Amino acid sequence: MNKFRLILFLSVIALASCKKDNYDGPTAGLSGNFFDATTHELVQMDIIRGTQIEFIEHGYANPATQTMIIKNDGTYANTLMFANTYTIKIREPNFIPVPEQEVVINGQTKLDFQVTPYIRVKDVSIVKNGTKIVATFKLQQNVINNVSKIGLYAHSDSRVGEPMRVVAKEQSIGAVTNPATVYTLEIDIPAYPNELKAGNNYYFRVGAFIDIGGTKPNYAPAVKLTI
Amino acid sequence: MKLNHIKYIVLAAGLSFAGCKRVLDLQPTDKVTADAIFGDPAGVKIYMANLYYQLPIEDFAFFRAGFNQNGGDPNNGGFSPAMETDEAVHTEFGDFVGDGDFHWWDQGYKLIRDVNLLIDYIPTLKIRDDERAALKGESAFIKAFAYFALVKRYGGVPLMKKSQVYTGDAEALKVPRSTEKETWDYVMELCDEAIANLAATKGSRRASKYAAYALKSRAALHAASLAKFGNRITLTGPAVDQKLVGLDASAANGYYKLAIDASAAIISSNQLSLYKPNPTDPAQAAENYRELFQDPNVANDNEAILIKGYSLPGNNLGHNYDIWYQPAQVANGWPHPGRMNPTLDLADVYESYTAPGASAPIVTRTDGNVTDYNGFNSGTSYLQFDTPNDIFKNKDARLWATAILPSTNWKNISIIIQAGFVKPDGNAVIRTKDQITVSGTTYYSYGAPDVTMYSGFDTYGGNNTRTGFSFKKFMNQTKPIEAGWNRSTSDWVEFRYAEVLLNYAEAVIESGQGDAVLAAKVLNDIRHRAGHTTNIPLTADNVQRERRVELAFENKRLWDLIRRREFHTEFNNRFLHSLLPLQDLRALPAKKYIFVRVNVPNSGSKTFQPKSYYRYVPGIGSNGLVQNPQY
Repeated sequence: MNKFRLILFLSVIALASCKKDNYDGPTAGLSGNFFDATTHELVQMDIIRGTQIEFIEHGYANPATQTMIIKNDGTYANTLMFANTYTIKIREPNFIPVPEQEVVINGQTKLDFQVTPYIRVKDVSIVKNGTKIVATFKLQQNVINNVSKIGLYAHSDSRVGEPMRVVAKEQSIGAVTNPATVYTLEIDIPAYPNELKAGNNYYFRVGAFIDIGGTKPNYAPAVKLTI
Repeated sequence: MKLNHIKYIVLAAGLSFAGCKRVLDLQPTDKVTADAIFGDPAGVKIYMANLYYQLPIEDFAFFRAGFNQNGGDPNNGGFSPAMETDEAVHTEFGDFVGDGDFHWWDQGYKLIRDVNLLIDYIPTLKIRDDERAALKGESAFIKAFAYFALVKRYGGVPLMKKSQVYTGDAEALKVPRSTEKETWDYVMELCDEAIANLAATKGSRRASKYAAYALKSRAALHAASLAKFGNRITLTGPAVDQKLVGLDASAANGYYKLAIDASAAIISSNQLSLYKPNPTDPAQAAENYRELFQDPNVANDNEAILIKGYSLPGNNLGHNYDIWYQPAQVANGWPHPGRMNPTLDLADVYESYTAPGASAPIVTRTDGNVTDYNGFNSGTSYLQFDTPNDIFKNKDARLWATAILPSTNWKNISIIIQAGFVKPDGNAVIRTKDQITVSGTTYYSYGAPDVTMYSGFDTYGGNNTRTGFSFKKFMNQTKPIEAGWNRSTSDWVEFRYAEVLLNYAEAVIESGQGDAVLAAKVLNDIRHRAGHTTNIPLTADNVQRERRVELAFENKRLWDLIRRREFHTEFNNRFLHSLLPLQDLRALPAKKYIFVRVNVPNSGSKTFQPKSYYRYVPGIGSNGLVQNPQY
């Protein structure tokens, strides 16, 4: 009986110390697109090691920097943020850097970016030709740096890219490119019996890497093919 | 009753006397005061032992969770830093560098606090001048070692040049981060202080002048590489803007010069040398090299510069390499042996005596293709070998001493590592338990009938290698496994002469400073110890290959990839590789083996993120420090 009383007493004390916190949960959010300022197309990214958005919430002495990943197709969204003013910075861009900005986020806020990608991968054709996947494309550079390499990447997931691929066919360039040159990259399917299985769907994507502090990739949209 | 009264009186009296003392000034009786420790040289010795214990030595008990991971319940699953590189994979699990790995912040500042307290007391100690100098030198060495461990993880860090005193204002104790350059320079300054004060004694388990030079050689080379190769990545953010991370390329040659001078000081002393530098043949070279790691004390008078001892089986005094990494056949009751699997990628790097001066990838096919990892194909023409290890003939002795190769002897047992067989009809059975009887003889896919009789490829218990190699370096051949925690007592050599020579060679070739003739000579001295007879020229590639094979599994590869900013290009969607030994029953009655190069079974690709070159700074909410990029 005494023991029971003690337990009762302790639980009353324990419960007394729990106060329900009366702050609202995160109700606001930020989303948007990265558009090519000239072509108005979405700027393709890498999901791994790609461009990121850093956001810092104002009103704290030592605010932690939070990070948002931009999706492969150049869109982003974080629907669980607190309404407040934020500093928004773009890290590791594959386009000419844009200045940081302060944004008031209240409710689901939309913020688009108009940017100039380092390289436009243009006139892309990725087709299956016999036992080969053949990609042809042109490059249009918007900065004077060298193009370090180009590549054709394959993966069963649509987020395919240089760091996420099962097969890569790459070519080193190491020079400034001519916009008239047509580049061709081919993957010989039978050479990869474990990676590219007949009858399955795979995504193929071409990319070009500008030599700015390591290399920064620009891509064309992925193409789905059955092999 | 009466007695009770007396008791109360005594008690009351006792209490009243106690009340006369100023309670807050009482010295606690469960703690020893600073004066009691530092006033007595024996006390200082005990204190030093504790500082050495805290030293961030990347030894058998070092793992991504930290140092000295051998107390209490030391079960880390048998992981090792080698498995975060291209040296090895774990038998059972995948693993790669994560944000929470390889931190050393709180423990680092605790050690620095402890050593600063000692430094405060050194001038007041009643000891001889030579003892005082030795203590000063050792303290500086320990502090340099600690800041080196911090700066290579975090970049520039707060420099606690002396111990802090709390005066009621916590804000006053906050020290901002110094730049990465200032932090490296402070490490160099501390090394110099250690060098100036320490005696040139050999074979000690305490810091000597040689150990301090070796530390400076290692640290200066690290800083120099960061400066030279920093442009291989770009990081952005406040930490970069304030130079808290990153070194200017212009600093490279200065640090290379420091590495050259520190290494040259050891070389020109002529007090150290390689252990057994002139073997008669590769077999002897392999045995000499193996002995050096089974017990580095054999090289106490020549190659070993600083040894960390593991004196007694038990918590903190023993380690777990033997239980985790011996091949499954010698497990002796331990349930999960064989967990360190050296990769084919590493085995490929070792030179062949027939073609010195280049990596010698293991050739399995008549067409010489060493890049096909698609598995066994009955239409491919494979090279046939008479034994499961003939394929490694002529490979550098250090491969034989670092890895247990298929069907080589270990502890008087032939270690069987076989991935399957090719049936007489040409169909292969690979990584599946199977048997076939041909002309009255039964053949087993794993090379033997029972799980206790082989060490390869069966996934049973996560005990059998899945790369085709088991682990030998550091393993104790002389004692059976004791199936319990912390039973291994082999010692760790933290600094050895061979590393100093390689540091010298690298600093010379990367910077063009120093004596190129001497650099080429010391590079080849190391190769002669490994049974090579042909000299190779001093090139950056030759030095890096030599480092990879000579220092394999000494937890250097991780930092070499980091300091040379090679991790993100070496590990960009990378698969590691295995070598499958198969018995070819198509050749019966002749006994023949073929080999197939494949991706490590049941494993994915690994990608290193550039931000991982720096660890995140913990606790920025309270310490107010600037965070590293992208965390």
